Amino acid sequence: MKIQSIFLPFFLSLLSLYFFSCGGTPPEATETEEAEEEVAATESEPTEPETESEPESEPEATPEPETESTPLKIAYSDWPGWVAWEIGIQKNWFEEAGVDVEFLWFDYVASMDAYVAGQVDAVCMTNGDALVTGATGKPSVGIIVNDYSNGNDMVVAKPGIDSVADLKGKTVGVEEGFVCHLLLLKALEENNMSADDITVVNTPTDETPQVLASGSVDAIAAWQPNSGQALKSLPGSKPIFTSADAPGIIYDLLCVSSESLEANKEDWAKVVAVWYKIVDYLMDEANMDDALKILSARVSLEPAEYEPFFKGTKILTLEEALKFWAKGDGLDSVYGSTDIVDDFNVKFEVYEEPLDTGKYLDPSLTKAYAETSK
Amino acid sequence: MSEVKSKSREHWFGIRKDLAPGRRTLLTVCSFGIPLLVWVTVSYVPFIWHPDIKLEISADRDGVTTVFTAGDRVSKEFFPTFVEAVRQENRKVLDARVKNNPHFVSRRENIKRLRHLAPLGVANGWLKNNERQNDEKIFNLWKQLAEGELASRAISLSQENLEIIEENWILLSKASPTFNLKLYPTEALLKLIPQGISSNPVYLPAPHEVINAGWLDFNTVPENGMPTMWERYRHSLNIIFWGFAYSCLLGIPLAILCGSFDFFSKLHEPFVDFFRYMPAPTFSVLFVAFLGTADAPKIMLVFVGTFFQLVLVIANTTRLLENSLIEAAQTLGAKRRQLLGRIILPGILPNLYNDLRILLGWAWTWLVIAELIGEKTGLTGFIDTQGTRYNFDRVFPVIILIGLTGFFTDRLLNWLRYLFFPWTEEVRQAPKGLLTRLLLSSTDRTTYFK
Repeated sequence: MKIQSIFLPFFLSLLSLYFFSCGGTPPEATETEEAEEEVAATESEPTEPETESEPESEPEATPEPETESTPLKIAYSDWPGWVAWEIGIQKNWFEEAGVDVEFLWFDYVASMDAYVAGQVDAVCMTNGDALVTGATGKPSVGIIVNDYSNGNDMVVAKPGIDSVADLKGKTVGVEEGFVCHLLLLKALEENNMSADDITVVNTPTDETPQVLASGSVDAIAAWQPNSGQALKSLPGSKPIFTSADAPGIIYDLLCVSSESLEANKEDWAKVVAVWYKIVDYLMDEANMDDALKILSARVSLEPAEYEPFFKGTKILTLEEALKFWAKGDGLDSVYGSTDIVDDFNVKFEVYEEPLDTGKYLDPSLTKAYAETSK
Repeated sequence: MSEVKSKSREHWFGIRKDLAPGRRTLLTVCSFGIPLLVWVTVSYVPFIWHPDIKLEISADRDGVTTVFTAGDRVSKEFFPTFVEAVRQENRKVLDARVKNNPHFVSRRENIKRLRHLAPLGVANGWLKNNERQNDEKIFNLWKQLAEGELASRAISLSQENLEIIEENWILLSKASPTFNLKLYPTEALLKLIPQGISSNPVYLPAPHEVINAGWLDFNTVPENGMPTMWERYRHSLNIIFWGFAYSCLLGIPLAILCGSFDFFSKLHEPFVDFFRYMPAPTFSVLFVAFLGTADAPKIMLVFVGTFFQLVLVIANTTRLLENSLIEAAQTLGAKRRQLLGRIILPGILPNLYNDLRILLGWAWTWLVIAELIGEKTGLTGFIDTQGTRYNFDRVFPVIILIGLTGFFTDRLLNWLRYLFFPWTEEVRQAPKGLLTRLLLSSTDRTTYFK
C-alpha cells in the first residue's frame, strides 16, 4: 500500500517530465488535443519542477525562408562525381571561398524527395532525373555538370544472355522512372526493340543485386555500387549495355532551385569556383591517393575498394564542361542530351507533356567562372 | 528409487510445471548456445558448406569492370577463370620482356600492383590497417619477402607468387634500391596471382570476421569528422527515446480515457484502429516535407509506428481491470476523478508497464526505417551504406548491438518490476535473488528481510 502511494506521484512526475521537456510537440497534437486537455484535468496533483532541467535534445528542423545568413543546403548522395564534393568540404575550400554551405548526406531518391519538399536549396541529380523531378515535383536549374557516367550505370544480365537483343521476352528489374530505366530504354532503342519487348519489374535500385542473384529476373539495370555488386554476386553475369556505350546519356549535375539561385547568385558562383578547384585537384594523378582516401571515408570504405567506382565516372574539367555546355542536338551536348531524355520520358509516359528543357540548364555561372579564371 | 527418477523426469517435461532454477539457467544458456554453435560449426568445419573462395590476395584484370579486392568472395567455379586471366596477363608481360619489347604502364598502375601485397602485410601484422597505402612500407615488404627476410605465416604464398615477388623485386631494385616513389619503374610489373581460402558466402561471415570488423569499426574515429559508431548509437537511441516518449505522453492518457469512458472509446478508437493499418513508412515523404530532413521526421515515424498500437493495447488493458474494484470504490463513495486516479491507474499500472515493454520492441523495428528518411544517420545509415556494398561482416556487429540493446533493456525493465510493483501476484510468487531482495529492502525493509 505504501509503495503504491509513492508510485503514483512518481509516475505522474515522469509524465510531467515529458510535458516540460518536449515543449514543441509535432503537429499530431491537433488530433489528440482534447485528450490532452482531459489529462491536464485529471492530473492536477502537484508535479516536481526539477525535471524541467532535462535538456532539449530534439533538434527542431524548421525550414525558414531564405535569408543571407542561412547556409546553402545541398543534398548529395552516393555517386563518385558527387562524393567528390567531400574534397572541398574536408579541405575547407568553401570557407576559404567565403560561402556558407551545408552538405546533407542522403539516399539518392530521398535526396530528390527532400528537394521537392523544399528542405534543401540544391540537389545532386542526373539531367534525366532533374526533368522527372521537375515534371512531377519541383523544377530546378542545373548550374554545374560534374561528370558523365562512363560505364558505372549498367544493364547486367544473367549468364546466357549476351546482348541486348537476347533480352526479348525477358524480365528486367529496374527502378521505374529513374535514370537506369532511361538507360535500359536507350539500350532497347539502339537494338531496334521497344519497351514492349521486355517485362519491367519495378525494383528499388539497392535491391537489384539480390533480385538478379535470386533468379527472379533475367537482367537488371542499376548504377554503382549496386551494378558492381550484381556482377559480383552472380558469377558469369555480364554488363550487356553500359553508360559507356551511350556516353552523354547520363550527365550528373548540381541542380539548384530557381528561387535560391536568384537570391544567392553570388554564393552559387563561389560554389562553382570551389567545384573547379576540386576538379583541378582530382586531375593531378599525384593527388589520387589523397582524393580516394577522402572519398572512400565518406562511405566508410578502404580507398582500394572505392577506386573501381571512380573509374566509371568521367569527371569533367572546365574546358570539357564548356564543350558539353555548348548547344547542340546530340548526346555530346548537355542540352541535346536533355532534349533526348525529355523525348524519351514523354514517349515512355514517365510524364505527359514535353518540358522546356532550356529552363533546366544554366551554364552562365560556369561560363562566368571560365572568364575570370582565364 | 524409481519414484525419484520419475520425479526428475517430470521436472524436464512437466506440462505447466516450472523447472528447477538450475535447469532453467542451463536452458537459457542453451537457447543462446545452440544458434551460436550452429554458426560456429557451419563457419569452421570444412565440407559442410563453403561454396566460395575468399580472396586473400587479389588482382585487377585489364579491361574488366568488375574489380575484386582482398576479402571479396568468388564462387569456386569462377575462381579458376579469374586466376587464369591474371596468369595470362603476366605471360604477355613476360613474353614482351623476352622479346626485348617490354610493356609500359603508368607509374600509378605499378604502384597499385605492388599494393596488392598490402592485405598480406596486414594479415601478418607487418602493416597496420591504415597503412595499406603506405608505399614505403609496402616497398620494404616486397624487398624483405624477395630476399627471404620475411616469410608469410598468416597467408602461405604459393610458389608461383614467390617467384613473381622475386621477379618484380629485380625490376624494382634495378630502378632504385631504396624507396623513392619517383624512381619507380614504368615497365609493367607482374601481377600477383589471386589466392584465397574456401569460405561461406559473403552473407554468412565467420564469427571471428564479425568480431574483428566490429572491433575495428567501434574503435576507429573517422578522420573526416563523420560520427563514430558510438555517436551513431547514441543518435539512434535518441530517436527511439523521443519517438517512444511522445507516443507514451500522448498515447497513455488517451488510452486510459478510452478504456474508462465509453465516450472516448467510441470517439477515438475506430479512427485509431483504421489508422494503424496504414503503413507508417508510406508517410515518410510527407514527414520530410513538413518536418525537415534532420531528426524530426524520424522521431515522427517512430511515433506514428507505435502510437496507434499503444492506444489500442492500453485501452484494452484498462478495460480488463476487475469491475469489482471499481464497484467497491463507488460503494465507498469515490468520485469519478478519484476512481481514475486512485483505482484505475494504480490497478492497471503493472499491466500497462508490461505493454510498454512490448511496444518498445516495436519502436526499434520502426527505427530501422526511420533513419533512412531524410538524412541518412545513426546505426541504420551505416548498415545501409555497408549493406549495399555487401560488407556484411561490418553489418552484423551493428545488428547484434541492436539486438543486445533491446534484450538488455527488456531484462532491466522486467527486473525493475520487482521495485515498482511488489504487490502483484506475479512478483510475489517469483523466486527472488539476493540483488532483488536488496533492492526491495530499500523501499520496505520489514517485508523482505525478516
